[in-house]
Amino acid sequence: MKNKKTAVFDGLLGDNTVLSSLMVISPVIMCGNTLENAIALIYAFSAITFFSVVLGSFVPKKLPYAAKIIINAVIASIVYIPVKSAAGEFFPEVISRVGIYFPLLAVNSLIVVQSETKFSRMKRGSMIASLVFYILGFDAVMIVTAFVRELFAYGTIAGRLVDADTLISGLGLPFGGFIFLGLLCGLYRKLRSASGRGENKSGGDGNVSGN
Amino acid sequence: MFLVTEFVTLLATNLILTQALGTSTLFIAAGNKKNLLWTAITITIFTSVGSGAAYIINVLLPDGLADLTLLFYTLIIGAIYVLLLTALYFAGSDSFETTRKYVHVSAFNCAVMGTLFTITDRADTYPELNTFISFVLSGAEAGTGFILAAFILTAAFRKLNSAKVPHSFRGFPAMLVYLGLISMAVYALR
Repeated sequence: MKNKKTAVFDGLLGDNTVLSSLMVISPVIMCGNTLENAIALIYAFSAITFFSVVLGSFVPKKLPYAAKIIINAVIASIVYIPVKSAAGEFFPEVISRVGIYFPLLAVNSLIVVQSETKFSRMKRGSMIASLVFYILGFDAVMIVTAFVRELFAYGTIAGRLVDADTLISGLGLPFGGFIFLGLLCGLYRKLRSASGRGENKSGGDGNVSGN
Repeated sequence: MFLVTEFVTLLATNLILTQALGTSTLFIAAGNKKNLLWTAITITIFTSVGSGAAYIINVLLPDGLADLTLLFYTLIIGAIYVLLLTALYFAGSDSFETTRKYVHVSAFNCAVMGTLFTITDRADTYPELNTFISFVLSGAEAGTGFILAAFILTAAFRKLNSAKVPHSFRGFPAMLVYLGLISMAVYALR
């Protein structure tokens, strides 16, 4: 029972989407440099992933693996359409700034691969609970990354100027995103092993090795 | 000199080093030279054929239906996915179990879909690039860029995974920092 509970919460800390599995890292690296971008991406990622995985869970399990992957991707591409229209209302400026990373959220590994290799093997109730925590795991990393990068790269928090003495402008650029995410990933692993949760020897599942 | 210029251009337009597209796939592929080669070849097929098909969709799709672009690109990649699996099955059913995993890894990832969107964006900015040939060549270039980035990562793969690297930073975290440093050098080239 305890293990079942832990598995449901895994997506938030124990098996974080970004820091453990290194999934959906390109939007974090490229667009996770301001809180404004982060909030728009969190909205899009959460909405697209949640509805796509839940709808994808109704796809018959007997279908071949490739067919299920394609159907999951098609479902996500359809879910993307209303999500983008709503985003155009709420975050009109951010949409153009985020550019190609917005549609790319619809083909993220959580939807295309994990829905098949992980979520489809769960009962629908636990699957939805687990999915919510995986989404929250991504959201948390996005917020932390965007907050730190915006503060130290531009000296602002959510666009408001703050009294920051030292600015590292490179942190707002792609290479800054790579380096910051690498350091955050190392820190996460250190904390995880310190808390006794052990370490994934391969450095994360990155589970797209095909079935 | 020509080769050096081409090499620098390939680095400066590299989708992984400049746009972080396909980084996770790269990390998986870089661990094994055979995986690396086959994944890179498969991704190049997807990006080249997919880009050609993306051009046709861009031409046929009315401006008012631009939101459907992702759906059509997904259908294209899905069709290539099925065709490639079928071709591999008939080419050698014994090796199919081994080869099909590269197709699964390469089909739906940011490297392939990101290439289609990047090329389309570039063609919108520079109308002279809005031709079928240009799309296919750009797709092939993106695949070649993936191979280049993979070789750069493979060169340091053992060291980044060695016991000399602190346990928490061994593997993925060290590889991310390493890619960040290469990306910084590429940024300076642009």
